Amino acid sequence: MKKNIKIEDISKYKDEILSPVEVADLVPLPSPYDKIHEEPTWKEIKDDQKERMVCNLDGVIALNLPHPENEEEEKKYVEQFVSGLKKLLTKENNWTFLQPLLLSIEYCVGCQTCNDACPIFTGSGRNEIYRPTYRSEVFRRLVKKYAKPGGKILSKFSNGDIELNWATISRLYELSYRCTLCRRCAQTCPMAVDNGLITHELRKVFSQELGWAAEEVHDKGTVLQLEVGSSTGMNPLAVKDNMEFVDEDTSEELGIDIKTPWDVKDAEILLIHNAGEIISWPENPAAFAIILNAAGISWTLSSEEPSYDGVNYGLWYDDFQLAKIALKHIETAKRLNVKKIVVGECGHAHKALITVADRILTDDENNVPRESCLTLLEEIVFSGKIEFDPSKNDFPVTLHDPCNISRNLGIVEPQRRILRYLCPQFREMDPKGAENYCCGGGSGFAIMNRNNFSDWRSSVSSRLKFKQILDAFSDHPGPEVNKYLCSPCSNCKGELRDLLEYYDVKEKSGIIYGGLVELIVNAMVDIKEPFIKWEEDF
Amino acid sequence: MTVMPLLIISYVLIAIFVVTFIYKTIKMAKLPIHLRWELAPVPHEKGKSHYGGSYLEEYDWWTKKREKSLIDEAVYMGKEIFLLKGVFEHNKKLWYLSFPFHFGMYVLTGAAVLTFIFAVLPSSLLSSEGLIVGSVIEILAAIGFIIGIVGTIGLLIRRLFDPNLKNYTSGSAIFNLIFLLALFVTGVLSIINAPDFYGEMTQYAQSLIFANTSGVLSGIVAVHCLITLLFLAYLPFTKMLHFLAKYFTYHEVRWNDSPMAGNKKMQQEVIDLLNQKVTWAAPHLKADGEKNWVDIATEEKK
Repeated sequence: MKKNIKIEDISKYKDEILSPVEVADLVPLPSPYDKIHEEPTWKEIKDDQKERMVCNLDGVIALNLPHPENEEEEKKYVEQFVSGLKKLLTKENNWTFLQPLLLSIEYCVGCQTCNDACPIFTGSGRNEIYRPTYRSEVFRRLVKKYAKPGGKILSKFSNGDIELNWATISRLYELSYRCTLCRRCAQTCPMAVDNGLITHELRKVFSQELGWAAEEVHDKGTVLQLEVGSSTGMNPLAVKDNMEFVDEDTSEELGIDIKTPWDVKDAEILLIHNAGEIISWPENPAAFAIILNAAGISWTLSSEEPSYDGVNYGLWYDDFQLAKIALKHIETAKRLNVKKIVVGECGHAHKALITVADRILTDDENNVPRESCLTLLEEIVFSGKIEFDPSKNDFPVTLHDPCNISRNLGIVEPQRRILRYLCPQFREMDPKGAENYCCGGGSGFAIMNRNNFSDWRSSVSSRLKFKQILDAFSDHPGPEVNKYLCSPCSNCKGELRDLLEYYDVKEKSGIIYGGLVELIVNAMVDIKEPFIKWEEDF
Repeated sequence: MTVMPLLIISYVLIAIFVVTFIYKTIKMAKLPIHLRWELAPVPHEKGKSHYGGSYLEEYDWWTKKREKSLIDEAVYMGKEIFLLKGVFEHNKKLWYLSFPFHFGMYVLTGAAVLTFIFAVLPSSLLSSEGLIVGSVIEILAAIGFIIGIVGTIGLLIRRLFDPNLKNYTSGSAIFNLIFLLALFVTGVLSIINAPDFYGEMTQYAQSLIFANTSGVLSGIVAVHCLITLLFLAYLPFTKMLHFLAKYFTYHEVRWNDSPMAGNKKMQQEVIDLLNQKVTWAAPHLKADGEKNWVDIATEEKK
């Protein structure tokens, strides 16, 4: 397809790729990643895949949407989509986000001030379809033409025209999974219009009306979590077994006794981890156990479904799935009669449980207080209950701010105060804090790996984050100095793991990644063995 | 020309503006409460907003007294409204045009308000102070019209030729700019051609306030007044009402970080919303128009 894409082009050239990603267009990276010809090769989308699945947006297939069998089926989806758009505009079906949505639809003035804030748009070399306003403008025109009275008459002059057909819907579906919902664009909008929210609402139309969502976030995500207890597939027995193994393994390695408490009634704190940590980064829940036990905190994990898993993918695509999971987390806390819930190192779990779901807790009885692990950790670190030796962390450390914790919840300083105290070579990225760049794996991307989507993630959506990380360590660019990228979020860690592997960063630049609690434990005087293992595969 | 026909049209157009403006304000204000969706920095977070921090940084935050600074919030809004802070920081090229465009309108609004105030003060036009005031208002108006023209022409050019903006500019956006350009240009022509621009505007203001039909306006001033009032009546139907919407997008969405606990009014409002019947058709929701939000969200527990 051509480069000068117009809004209305989304409904044209049905089976052609609208705007492919060109590796040569991507924002250049610092050395030794600056040679375009050395960029890793993307997985090829074969002809038989194209025959089975729609591939008409950018040459990337994230969602495996099958082609409709005939025109009748296409028409059916178009009608369902219009029906979903109309429901999205009603109080009955969408009170949850109606006010911000309508304001964002009506009052964008098209100034494009938000454009440069988007790491995907800029990282891609300004591919038009990734412009934060492109998706929103398509959506806005569709709403005005097809979901509002008199829209078809007004659309040409007043709102700009667009056709709604299979090409539009299928591309828009994929395009709703090319934004990480990081809301960096919304932060810069002079009208406070929120393109991230529009993407979120678009995903809701697909999920709540057509039953379409990324398999990883729906079938293998919220549905699995509600059925089995965790999106990892672990049932209560498996999670306890796994944690027992983590306790034993860590106790043996460090020569201290570590015991994770389960289902302790009347404990002060119910800690909810992202269960992915237990499988992929067991050192993280182990470090939490070491710190909380050393500080003499009364705490517990829950083995009740789904409260041993703090994830809530509903946040990204479906209000009902969000509510179901959040309510179950609260119920568990009530049953255990804890004083508060502390959310572990998982950004979207923070946002889902601490703020977004707050307004569905309609009585004070059920509104169990919820707080971030970062504030608890700050309280512990500076309480004097644990002795630290910061020289044990005397290596370059930088901090990645998870969007859901810093930009969306405004938790910026507690983690920094800890790092400034415990890590003598701590340095900031630029931009930082609430203005950070997303890791590139937000809104479910970090767990989405089908076809060539993981190539797109590492090459495009994580690109500016990667550049930031390298820039933060530019005083020690080579592998001879070990460097630590601190990311207090499981989802971000998943993305960063893939990114660092994709570009062979540990070998070339000596950078590893991990959470915040690992650094805290590594600096504890009572822990004699190094907790951070540089030689292990991360 | 006599002021009589213009006066009748003016009342109609002003009535359209007032009714539509109030209707739209109520409509925005009555939209239901939404799930929390705040975005840092929230300027009322005392001592924390400068780095994007919030009360959630406090250990056991629900036990602490909220420290809010409404002054910081007002200062932020003042900079945003009068200096277009957001555009300045993130889109400087556009700010050089957008700022004069907006500031021209602010200056003109100020001049209009002053004209109406002095129009009702007894004998203000006859006193020497009145003459000074008239000159000042006329100069203000001239400045407003001229920088408005500069900004509008600049924005028109950018919208028509800048590839970043062109694709996202509808016919109505161009029409709105041309409409405003006509308002500014007739304003300048009125100052140049009318024998006593301020005097005529004051007379027109008095006619409007006291329903006095005996006055006379020169042709160009009458045309300018008509265009201004047509624009005023048209404005609430357009995106240009963003100056009103902005209150809600900032205060009700971006900065609305009120916790639910202890807020009985909000709790009751949400209970009512949760009791609404839902019709989403996706198979996993099984919404049939009979179940409400609570039924669906708690379905598996029953």
